[in-house]
Amino acid sequence: MSAVVTGLVGIVILLLLFLLRMPVGFAMGFVGVVGFAYLADPGPALSLLAQDIFEQFSSYPLSVIPMFILMGTFAFASGISRRLYRTTYTWVGGIRGGLTIATVLACAGFAAICGSTAATAATMGKIALPEMKKYKYNNTLATGTVAASGTLGILIPPSTILIVYGILTEESIGKLFIAGVLPGIMLSLAFVAVVAILCLRNPQLGPPGTPTSFKQKVRAVNGIIEAIILFVLTIGGLFLGWFSPTQAGAIGAGGALVIGLVRRQLTWRNFFEAGKEGLRTSCMVLIIITGATVFGHFMAISTIPFALADWIKSLPIPPMALMGVIIFLYFIGGFFMDSMALVVVTIPIFFPVVMQLGYDPIWFGVIIVLVAEMGVITPPVGVNVFVIKGIAPDVPLHVIFRGIFPFLIALIMMTALLLAFPGIAVFLPNLITY
Amino acid sequence: MTFLEKFDRFNRRLSGGFEIIGLGGLLVMMVITCLDVFGGKFFRTPVYGALDIVMLCQLVAISFATAYALIIGRHVSVEFFTALLPERLQALIDAVISFFGLIFYVLIVWRLIVYGHSLQIGGEVSATIRIPLYPFAYGIAMAGVPVALVLLAQILKAIVRMVTK
Repeated sequence: MSAVVTGLVGIVILLLLFLLRMPVGFAMGFVGVVGFAYLADPGPALSLLAQDIFEQFSSYPLSVIPMFILMGTFAFASGISRRLYRTTYTWVGGIRGGLTIATVLACAGFAAICGSTAATAATMGKIALPEMKKYKYNNTLATGTVAASGTLGILIPPSTILIVYGILTEESIGKLFIAGVLPGIMLSLAFVAVVAILCLRNPQLGPPGTPTSFKQKVRAVNGIIEAIILFVLTIGGLFLGWFSPTQAGAIGAGGALVIGLVRRQLTWRNFFEAGKEGLRTSCMVLIIITGATVFGHFMAISTIPFALADWIKSLPIPPMALMGVIIFLYFIGGFFMDSMALVVVTIPIFFPVVMQLGYDPIWFGVIIVLVAEMGVITPPVGVNVFVIKGIAPDVPLHVIFRGIFPFLIALIMMTALLLAFPGIAVFLPNLITY
Repeated sequence: MTFLEKFDRFNRRLSGGFEIIGLGGLLVMMVITCLDVFGGKFFRTPVYGALDIVMLCQLVAISFATAYALIIGRHVSVEFFTALLPERLQALIDAVISFFGLIFYVLIVWRLIVYGHSLQIGGEVSATIRIPLYPFAYGIAMAGVPVALVLLAQILKAIVRMVTK
């Protein structure tokens, strides 16, 4: 068997193991080491396995992941998310569809200190869904809004997907973070517009909440100050070159802890639970990356990524059409695979192709995030939908998926806009000179 | 209490204990990095060897957390396909997949011990504060043992499901 054919067989076996419920990171590592042993020799393959595990687990560039994940879990434990929601609720809760608009805005705010879609959806879902239930909001709208708005967690910096993308492609994490800001704000506004249009067409979907006075609205600003401080400190520090990405994440995590202590919200129990939560998520992500590293060695020796890049370049199809095909593949892949795993598995294969086509790597990172956002809300593997189902067990899954549909259209439109106007993503990063 | 229940309880305790060690590693990473930033920015005295400490703490954090994350199903897997299959076939698939996982982890433990030995023989140390690296390789090999035990328990449970369903 030639190296390329062996590589293709390896990919098929990998997909089969995925389908048979083997953890993604384990499957990639397992197929990677067996494939490498077949193409090279078992001795070097096994030596490389141990070396990869040791080096990836102790990789300093990867330490940015646990730090930013910890920042998100500590921010939740410190009650920042609850105060954020209270503020947005006070501002817009009194208007028609106001509680859902408040949810979108609070998710956008929490996304600025948390880099995970599931964490953002879970955090805001626990707070917002009971409120919306109290005011008799339509279940489809309420659950769909939280699940979809949770996806802002990976677009608005910090973002675990952008961090992993930056590590895999050796692009600046700072630039990638900044690239997510404008699209993140635009997508948040698009989600607000979706809610407003839906409630305008059918006022029963989202009745107004309790009206608040101007004085209450001004006083409520207090609730977002700490989130702004954390965001400015971490992302601003990163943007200005004060901190390395790992340092920014650690300062953010430490800052969230200090806020929790000052606000007297942080108990020992909260602290340990948040720490364990951060550790488990970090472990999951790093195991996937390590598995992908082992698998990547196998792919490299099989020469598939290079052959694919050359083949695609030789196709008589315009680059934009090829990019459309790649995005479509990601979109379809997102239906069946966890977004993080999908990105880790596919980036080593598609990134060289995208570079051959002459696209901006920072722009492509943002595109990947948008497609990943679609993946976490589309069936059958829509992580955010299952998170919301866990919070609202009485709402059937199909109702949540139906609620997501208008937001999915907004996401697709945002992706199309970014394809047409790449400047939306690359304008801000181009201002950074380092 | 059946043997499997006892085995499960033992795994939970062992992996839970290891997770606490991992949590310690994670928190030290955060604290050291914060101290390094404050020391460096405000007092011009960054923590000597902060990078080495962060890297080795991450090694401990991730490897010691793997087993408990496996027990509570935190490692991402694709669930939708097997859920459609009959219960007995699901159990058979789970047994086979866990068996592959067990082989994989036994290989990892073995090769990490070999790797640790090579680091020990070569006198490999961290870049700045020259901490010997071999104990960490042996450490993460040890952290692989509860993962292998959890996978073994999963095989046994899947076999029981196959027989009883």
